[in-house]
Amino acid sequence: MASVSTRPASGAQLLLPEVLARIDNLELLARTVVEGFLNGLHRSVYLGLSLDFAEHRPYMPGDDIRRIDWRLFGRTDRHYVKLFEAETNANFVVLLDVSRSMSYGTHTVTKLDYARYLAACLSYFARRQRDRVGLVTFDDDVVDYIPPSAKNLDLCLHTLHRARAGRPGELRKPILKATESLRRKGILVLISDLYEPAEEVVRAVRVLQSPGHDVMVFHLLDPAELEFPFQGASNFRDMETGEDLPLIPEKLRDGYRDLVSAHTAELRERFTSGRVDYALLDTSKPLDQALFRFLLHREKKRKAR
Amino acid sequence: MPLRFLVPVFLLGLASLVIPIVVHLTRKRKALVVEFPSLMFLERVPFQAESRRRIHHWLLLLLRALAVALIVAAFARPFLQDSEITAGMAGGPRELVILLDRSYSMDVGDHWERAVGAARDVVGRMGPLDRASLVVFARNADVVIRSSLEGSRLLAALDTVRVSDESTAYGPGLKLAQTILEEADLPVRELVLIGDFQRGGWTGDEGVVFPPGTVVTPVDLSSPAPSNRMVASVSLVREERGGRDRVYATARFTRVGGEDPESVETVLEVDGMELERRSVTLPANGAATVTFDPFNLSQDFTRGSVRFAETDELAPDDVYYFVLSPGRAVRVLVLDPAGGRGASSLFLTEALSISEDRAFEVQVRAGGGISSGELSGVDVAIVNDRPVPGGDAAVALRSFVEGGGGLVVLMGEGIRWPSELADLLPGAFTEPRDRRSGRGGRLGYLDYTHPVFEIFRGPRSGDFTGARFFRARELQLADPEASRILARYDDGSVAIAERSVGEGQVLALTSTLDGYWNDLAQQPVFLPFVHQLVRYASGRTEVVSSFPAGQVIDVTDARAMATAGLGEVAEALAGAEERVAVTPSGETLVLPTEGSAHFVRLQEQGVYEIRPPGNSDIRPLAVAVNVDLAEADLTPMDVEEVVASLASAPADEESVQRPGGREARLLREDQERRQALWRFLLLGAFVLLVMETLVSNWISRSGARRAFNAGS
Repeated sequence: MASVSTRPASGAQLLLPEVLARIDNLELLARTVVEGFLNGLHRSVYLGLSLDFAEHRPYMPGDDIRRIDWRLFGRTDRHYVKLFEAETNANFVVLLDVSRSMSYGTHTVTKLDYARYLAACLSYFARRQRDRVGLVTFDDDVVDYIPPSAKNLDLCLHTLHRARAGRPGELRKPILKATESLRRKGILVLISDLYEPAEEVVRAVRVLQSPGHDVMVFHLLDPAELEFPFQGASNFRDMETGEDLPLIPEKLRDGYRDLVSAHTAELRERFTSGRVDYALLDTSKPLDQALFRFLLHREKKRKAR
Repeated sequence: MPLRFLVPVFLLGLASLVIPIVVHLTRKRKALVVEFPSLMFLERVPFQAESRRRIHHWLLLLLRALAVALIVAAFARPFLQDSEITAGMAGGPRELVILLDRSYSMDVGDHWERAVGAARDVVGRMGPLDRASLVVFARNADVVIRSSLEGSRLLAALDTVRVSDESTAYGPGLKLAQTILEEADLPVRELVLIGDFQRGGWTGDEGVVFPPGTVVTPVDLSSPAPSNRMVASVSLVREERGGRDRVYATARFTRVGGEDPESVETVLEVDGMELERRSVTLPANGAATVTFDPFNLSQDFTRGSVRFAETDELAPDDVYYFVLSPGRAVRVLVLDPAGGRGASSLFLTEALSISEDRAFEVQVRAGGGISSGELSGVDVAIVNDRPVPGGDAAVALRSFVEGGGGLVVLMGEGIRWPSELADLLPGAFTEPRDRRSGRGGRLGYLDYTHPVFEIFRGPRSGDFTGARFFRARELQLADPEASRILARYDDGSVAIAERSVGEGQVLALTSTLDGYWNDLAQQPVFLPFVHQLVRYASGRTEVVSSFPAGQVIDVTDARAMATAGLGEVAEALAGAEERVAVTPSGETLVLPTEGSAHFVRLQEQGVYEIRPPGNSDIRPLAVAVNVDLAEADLTPMDVEEVVASLASAPADEESVQRPGGREARLLREDQERRQALWRFLLLGAFVLLVMETLVSNWISRSGARRAFNAGS
């Protein structure tokens, strides 16, 4: 497979899709995933991403003693904890493809389920970083639009929960429409199966980039879409157009794999050259790869700034 | 034996064998539809349709093709042509009708065994393509087996046939045989008539015309008539003594044949008990009469029989069964004019009081009103020359008549009729008119078909011409269609007329019965006339003490059942109460409680019981059935005469057998029908299709399983 091979981080078994599928509450899911994921990392490295001092507050039992301001203790003989402002207060918007093809899944979860978990986790994570979170779901048009706001996490999670794959999809038109609403610079995360020619996909993403947004693209594919393991003469029916195609899969498998590999390779190459962070995700794999990728992206941006 | 097809054109259907092949090559695999997010990449892969043109499942194709071939072959109706059969049937296959007499005279000697043996011989001689019907007949005819090729069925049916208690009538059996032969399509038709050819069963006008060319083969089983004695008749005369019915049974015994007088014991049994045994001497070809001591009749449906102590060769005519019930007198209320002191009804009441069996119970009431209470329980009311008041009396009288009561109106001097009852009378009456010229008027017309005058029909049965009528009223019929005139005077005016009102009858006499206006009361016919008049007005039906075997009665017909003394059975059935009839042999028939006519055939000699189903304390109703004594006359007729009467016209040219023509077609059809290979072919096709389904399902399941495993 062309995706990045990863293993669930130690202590992060909850990141497995089959485990997540049992959690119906997206907020709980996101908190579980994010906290579990962060606990599995070297905490000190990423602790306190926001270093701008905001205020002091009295020490409460349970607070990290490393946060106690000893200088102030020396002056006042009382324990105070230093609080820090968020780093950016940036806008964080997930653009989620809910076209009909996203409902495909031969594993425990469909692509849409996986995308839902990923979007919830990223939004929760971003909110934890005090970003303003927003959400755009789209198929061939914008289905739901939630403007980025510090208060909209719940709304985003709720919208994600009830998102259903229905109509055929298209990238360019809904993205163009969403971009008009997202004037302020921010971080945009596109989650889609990108079933369009690479040229079209890149053109659509460039629209997103044009106002100055940082764009991440998560390309979700089911393992069956990557490996094409089918056997026996069958009628393959396009989920979006309903078109039938009788095939002998064994005879097409290699050709199909080559085409998919070429497609993802082209996307990777063109996104990389266009300074778009691109990740191909296998929906049977744990979420930590995506989260890790996201953190790297944030870190990279922070350092660049 | 080469294989042939009766309808080879159906073999063109073998062209349909290409259907499974085409299906195999072109059918889309509906069962394996895989939904895929996008065909974007798949459509770019070079596509090869080679697999469609390849047969994947040879076994399936073979099963389907074979099934289609078998079905087509079945429709073509194959058969193995047996040339020996064809050659052996010089005249072509026969349609045989075996007409077997099973009247009770066939029980004489070994007639029945010989008859069945003869029928078996006929069946045994059947050719392989012959068809035979077995028809049994006596008074009625029944088809036991119709047009069967299977001799074993016919032989088995012959084992089940028994001698009946009915008499011989050739007509029904021959008519049935004619119908079967007319509907037959085989080239040769033959009737085999097996019986004792009694002359009594042959009327000569049976009106049977067999199809041209029908061969009639008689099998005469008659033998010299043995000496036969029989209970010819039993007369049951009732007499009323001390409020109870006494019955005098007088039996007449006859003997046919024989040489010397024969002394035999005769027995009277009532309700299963032997009451009396009498010895009687029967001369050759003579008769003797025995009157048994009277017995009391205390219970309804008392069963009795008169029989010989020892039966002769022909047993069924040696016993006579009867069923009797105590008679109930007809209750008559004579409404006299006030102050008449019974003088006006003297002749009337005296005439009604004279009867051996106390047939009438007369009550006279002079003057006063008429109430429904007085009319309650009365069968006949006689308004004897008195005024009828209106109001309540009129209502009571109308209700009485409409409820089934009989009303006799004597229109003398004192008759007055209320206007509200005008529609009860056959018409309006006028003032009295005198016939003083000459010796008065006479009765000029009597309707002898009417039950009142029917007994006077024969010569010397009663003369009404002697009666002189000096005074009478005229009756102008209101509706001639609704009324019936029983008698007219010699001047044409109405003497007696009747009208039905509701369930009852109204009889109007335009003169009186008191001896003043006429002298009818002084004539010898007066007494039987009054009896008949009142009995008819009461609506009573004379109960028959026994029926002949073979009689059919409709149990839903109240009138027919009343004749059998079973009026209450008809009422019970009409009221949806269940009743069963138990035949003398113990078979139980359930009588229907609703629906159209239901006929019960009284075929067995003895006593039929009719009662509610299950155990009941109610004494069962009973009907006695006796054999028809005409059958006891065993005199045979000339068989040649019968054959000559039944001979049909010679076969026309069209029905002459020609090799390769209709006969050949029939032979082929019969061979095919006999072998019925199409059934086996269809069965084989069915088995193949079942196998095809199983194999197909197995292939589909394994394919789906492979696809599923690959997908996961």
